[in-house]
Amino acid sequence: MNKIELLNGNEAAAYGAMLSGAEIIPVYPITPQTPLIHKISEFIAKGEFDADLIHLESDQSALAAAVGASLGGARVFTATNSQGLLYMAEVCYYASGLRVPIVMAVINRAVSSPHSRYPDHSDAMALKSSHWIQLFCETNQEVLDTAIQMFRICEDRRVLLPGMFSYESYLLSFTWENVEVPEQEKVRKFVGEYNPEHIILDPDDPMTINAPTTPDYLTEFRYKQKIAMDNALKVIREVGKEFQREFGRFYGLIDPYRVEDAEFVIATMGTIASTAKEVVDEMRAEGKKVGVLRIRSFRPFPREEVKKALKSAEAVATIDRNFSAGSNGALYDEMRSALYNTGIPVKGYIAGLGGRNVSKNDIREVFEDLIQKERLEEISWINLRG
Amino acid sequence: MMEMSEKIDLDQFDKEEFLGPSLKSCPGCSATIVARFALKALGKDTIVIIPASCLATLLATNTQTGIKIPYLHALFECGSSTATGVKHAMMRKGKENVNVVTIAGDSGSMDIGFQALSGAAIRNEDIIHICYDNESAMNTGGQLNSCTPFGARTPDWPLGKRLMKKDAPSIMAAHNIPYVATASISHLEDFYMKLKKAKKIKGFRYIHVLSPCPISWGYDGRYTVEIARKAVESGLWMLYEIENGSFNLTYKPERRIPVEEYLRMQRRFDTLTDDDARKVQEIVNELWRRYEE
Repeated sequence: MNKIELLNGNEAAAYGAMLSGAEIIPVYPITPQTPLIHKISEFIAKGEFDADLIHLESDQSALAAAVGASLGGARVFTATNSQGLLYMAEVCYYASGLRVPIVMAVINRAVSSPHSRYPDHSDAMALKSSHWIQLFCETNQEVLDTAIQMFRICEDRRVLLPGMFSYESYLLSFTWENVEVPEQEKVRKFVGEYNPEHIILDPDDPMTINAPTTPDYLTEFRYKQKIAMDNALKVIREVGKEFQREFGRFYGLIDPYRVEDAEFVIATMGTIASTAKEVVDEMRAEGKKVGVLRIRSFRPFPREEVKKALKSAEAVATIDRNFSAGSNGALYDEMRSALYNTGIPVKGYIAGLGGRNVSKNDIREVFEDLIQKERLEEISWINLRG
Repeated sequence: MMEMSEKIDLDQFDKEEFLGPSLKSCPGCSATIVARFALKALGKDTIVIIPASCLATLLATNTQTGIKIPYLHALFECGSSTATGVKHAMMRKGKENVNVVTIAGDSGSMDIGFQALSGAAIRNEDIIHICYDNESAMNTGGQLNSCTPFGARTPDWPLGKRLMKKDAPSIMAAHNIPYVATASISHLEDFYMKLKKAKKIKGFRYIHVLSPCPISWGYDGRYTVEIARKAVESGLWMLYEIENGSFNLTYKPERRIPVEEYLRMQRRFDTLTDDDARKVQEIVNELWRRYEE
């Protein structure tokens, strides 16, 4: 029997790791990830979860231990965010190059300085080129379900890449929602066993791993990572459909909300989408053809799906909870690239940095800008004080 | 005092070789001596993790490898943390008898690698760490590091270091791990005995091997073993072990040779004044006075 529990995002992620049968969990504490670790240690202490929780001495060492454990053949889970994720950055590239399917929760938080512990996608976006699968969640239910799906996606033989699933600090990490917790047996069956053959440290099958390469070799390693990431587009969809059959909930690469006939669409990630969906309902009642396209999979970025979903759009706005000085928000760049040559203008907004609230009124103003075709080529900052 | 020309009887060591051919080491490289005898002593059921270093680089290129046991080239600062994960996976998979060993240089142990090493040691992970100490960041061209000794000059500090060498084995002993030892590639029986002993102990084991480098230290590669021997015979490099907290000197030079005999064989000490050489001699004398007390 599935049970309904009142869970915050961290607890939902902990359930996801437990139900999926993570074997080794190397960790280092960082706010707001810590309650996730507390929950896992509670599961283990109660004898409900047979996992090896290793307390490392740094975030970087936690991910390095995760790589070692995965190379030893274990299913590995870890979690971090912001400073911790950036301290892991070098190991992130190392892990994806070694093709170890580590699953990591990233509880999006702003990156210092100035110091902030509030929601912001800048941490995950700093690692957007590290060849990890990156999924972004909107609700705590999706956090739990995505944790489960991630093991299947990352361990798929066509993929074999590490993956991070993101959910915003406070807005999800410390907010309680009713979450349906699926049965463990059913989840274990869905996820299956991890039996690596492609890369393993085993005295009975000696491999030299990460030998230095000359210019003759590295390009093909990267190209194979590209193929794996391309394959992930298909695998994320497949796993989504199979998950729906087993558990009744569907998540794909994108989450279009009333987009089919929409003329004006906001594309965004994470919880801003929840607010935008409410505004869409209100404006639809007023007769305005608006919609929300939530991007769930940022890596791989589903260009074709995005293009297809927006075929009736007149104008699109992106709302980025991240920013790169000298360039733009990360989603803006991806959307412009996906919609290149379609004639659909994309207007960029920067909002919600360091946890600043993005209100329904802010979203409504974005739609109004689109409808009035105001300054479409300009990047606007929402709620910027003068 | 030992004869400098003394031959080592190889029959006393295990026969199986796990290194070579196709190693890309320099003539007179002692890192390969350390790895060769470490792997002989530990045997087939071993996984070796080597963070960025000369040794990590010289073992393999592209699809060619010169090592016959599982070998992971780890990130510079991540040797001990990566090994922690590997060992835990072995325990999880019912292969707890597999020796997990990190072989790291002095930078990968005592500088950039120190956080992970200290963490693994204080957790008493079931890992053997071998530090091969060539007293500089040699894989990048011999730059100054915390294990460079007083008076040695490096390409990035040509006037000669004025600070002291980090006392790595004492720092590791302060972690209260079950086994700490020093060794020298000139005293192979002693090194081998320590490896065999370490293999039988559970928990974190640390062996620090003085590992002369002809390029960094400035001498002809044929003198590698002789220089290592002079470091021991002068008393500058003391051979000991600390087993469960109790100190045991494993080799005592009958009559210590003057430390200058060791120093003056190496171009890295060209800028060392006679006063400084006397200072080094005093440090050595003090070390042994403390031991004899």
